[in-house]
Amino acid sequence: MNELPLEGVRVLEVAPGYAAGFAGRLLAGFGADVAVAGDPSAELTPDELVFLTSGKRRVTGASPGDLRRLALAADIVLDDQKPGTLASVGLAPDGLRRENPALIVVSITPFGQRGPYADWGATNITAFSMGGIVSLTGHPSREPLVTGGSQAYALGGLNAFSATVTAYYGRLVHGEGDWIDISLQECSAGMLELYGPGSAATDVGPSPRRGNHVRAVWGIYPCADGWAGVCCLERQVPAFFKLLDDPVLEEERFRDPFQRAEQDDELSAMVYAWFADKTKAEILALGPKTRVPFGAVMTPGDLLANESLAERGFFDAVPTPDGEARIPGRPFPGVLWRAPQLHDSEDAESLLRDWSAERVRA
Amino acid sequence: MKKLPLEGVRVLDLTMMWAGPFATKLLAEMGAEVIKIESPNAWDNIRTLIPQPGIEEPWNASYYFNDYNRDKKSLVLDLAHPRGREVFLQLVPHADVVIENYRADVLDNLNLSYEVLRQVREDIILVSMAGFGKTGSEKDQVGFGPIIEQMGGVASTTGYGDDGEPYKTGVSYGDPVGGIAAAGAVALALIHRKKTGKGTFVDLAQRETMATMIGQAFVASSLRGEEPVHRGNRSDRWAPQGIYPCAGDDQWIAVSVRDDDEWRALASVIGATDLEAFGQDERISRHDEIDERIRAWTRQQDPQAAMETLAAARVPAGRVLDSDAIHRDPHLLARGFWVELPHPRMAPWKQPSSAWRFVEANPQLRRHAPLFGEHTAEILGELLGMGSQDIAALDAEGVTSRAPVNPGVG
Repeated sequence: MNELPLEGVRVLEVAPGYAAGFAGRLLAGFGADVAVAGDPSAELTPDELVFLTSGKRRVTGASPGDLRRLALAADIVLDDQKPGTLASVGLAPDGLRRENPALIVVSITPFGQRGPYADWGATNITAFSMGGIVSLTGHPSREPLVTGGSQAYALGGLNAFSATVTAYYGRLVHGEGDWIDISLQECSAGMLELYGPGSAATDVGPSPRRGNHVRAVWGIYPCADGWAGVCCLERQVPAFFKLLDDPVLEEERFRDPFQRAEQDDELSAMVYAWFADKTKAEILALGPKTRVPFGAVMTPGDLLANESLAERGFFDAVPTPDGEARIPGRPFPGVLWRAPQLHDSEDAESLLRDWSAERVRA
Repeated sequence: MKKLPLEGVRVLDLTMMWAGPFATKLLAEMGAEVIKIESPNAWDNIRTLIPQPGIEEPWNASYYFNDYNRDKKSLVLDLAHPRGREVFLQLVPHADVVIENYRADVLDNLNLSYEVLRQVREDIILVSMAGFGKTGSEKDQVGFGPIIEQMGGVASTTGYGDDGEPYKTGVSYGDPVGGIAAAGAVALALIHRKKTGKGTFVDLAQRETMATMIGQAFVASSLRGEEPVHRGNRSDRWAPQGIYPCAGDDQWIAVSVRDDDEWRALASVIGATDLEAFGQDERISRHDEIDERIRAWTRQQDPQAAMETLAAARVPAGRVLDSDAIHRDPHLLARGFWVELPHPRMAPWKQPSSAWRFVEANPQLRRHAPLFGEHTAEILGELLGMGSQDIAALDAEGVTSRAPVNPGVG
């Protein structure tokens, strides 16, 4: 019989914010028994609470002693408070690790556990700004722009999730857990595409913001019913030029990739005109036929109504007091996932009894 | 010394560009043996996307390629050639994981589907990571990172708000996001195999992991029909928040004030004590006016000094570090985040180390990205017992090679 891959894995989230909540929701979906201690509504909006805490147990009224017993009964402790906060309530990660060498402790903080900025307060936008991506986002003539949502936190949470399951596999094979120090700044700083290594390895200086147009054949354009995009590598340029259907594109100055860079304004004008009278659906329909990478800017509402996602069973339905919410489900199919349900709050004693009983059964 | 979690795991890595190689970079950092397989006719385009002018063998001298392919081995094998496919299928029994990010139909076209791989190793793990997955009516769309960001909803949430325009993130955001999730998929599949003895086929769609990055927006849309509002750099919960100009060329600082205490501290630093009694509601309604006062101060400040002054006053603030300045950030330097690894063709430069800091196992970068085909003989010799004559025969048939065939740009 198939079972959830993290069936029987106990996870304690301590007063989590977005990042730890994000990692925990993925662990819960893949079968872990995730308990949230503390009040996540202090940090999260009502919509974030639905997205991030569904499928988890809620523990109320836990004393520091209860928390310690829960942490030592857990397989994984997730925490995204300031460095030192766990230690201040008797849950120092290295101490917990000494008492239970199989335990995995995951700390997600803006700047990591040590270093000159480790104790600085931060929010999503300040942490993301220090990771480099913000400097590259937005119009060249305007201020840099933060990506929507809470990407510093979501990236930290996604990294924490994947690092945690990797550590859990290591524990199954090698017998020991670890303490994982995730810095939101480092999560971004290590994914600066060609721009990071370009500035590090050459004397080109900082990469500029390029708005929605890295090049004419790599950007987002207004179309008849919204916004759509194209991203051509060199091998896809001929097929895109065929669609643009302008004889001037036969000229060497457009065909040669180095000369083409000098004609970018002229080419951009052609691309603007081409997109302007087509709908998103018309543009997307050309992708599979021509193998030109086309996209369309879809909103969450568009995606909730999207046929392909429905066919793949992507969204989960979650009951809430305001009706049924539909939220992103399994991040990938292939390993079993369960849709989250809301849980009633319970006290620490009840959870401890439960986890102790499981341990005895195991 | 404590073992890394994936020591003992062998990965046959068919991925190219950025999403897949980002995943296998993480696996390599965690101790897996990653064998990167490229064809003489279809090599990883990143090798030649930004060729250094005038350099010999540009495919072996790309800093861009290097940073996402460190600690991997390179095997050159043409999977479209019958002999190349046969050799690949001989390697699969020696591997735990096969991972690919081809277009949805490519692996099947090579007759290397999960069912075929299972015939030679029953518990093999296959992770595919096409942009839109291998099923569903949009599976044949071609997806690169920026396309994934548009089609996954994130681009619709980003914008200044006064021009109606959605914005792409400055990097091909869909790629690393898909890669991080794929690395998690590999670990989950390994856990599943450890517990059940069974292999797995993971059909990751990069667009779906991207949509997960804005989950709360789906709650708002499904419960109340709300679509994203572009707020520029402002918060929907507190004020003031923004990105403000500093002294110098294109220098900026993000400031984010959550409560009255932080506001009073900021007001004091910027000399706006006349406004310090403003509560949250008033700060939100008079955001423009407050922004002017913040700008009047930041414009006179060096961004690093401004950040340190605000941090000392306990106001959340962060320099908008650009792709150059980030390599001199005192904090990242103090944490040893930037590492200079020797490379046989390029002078050393600062490369990011692992963001997954296992405090005890302490993963370290070990080696530069492999030269094209650098480990072909080693891998075919050690795993399949092939000698130099066997490899010369493969070379003669064009199944393997020491250099890409007809390398151009991208």
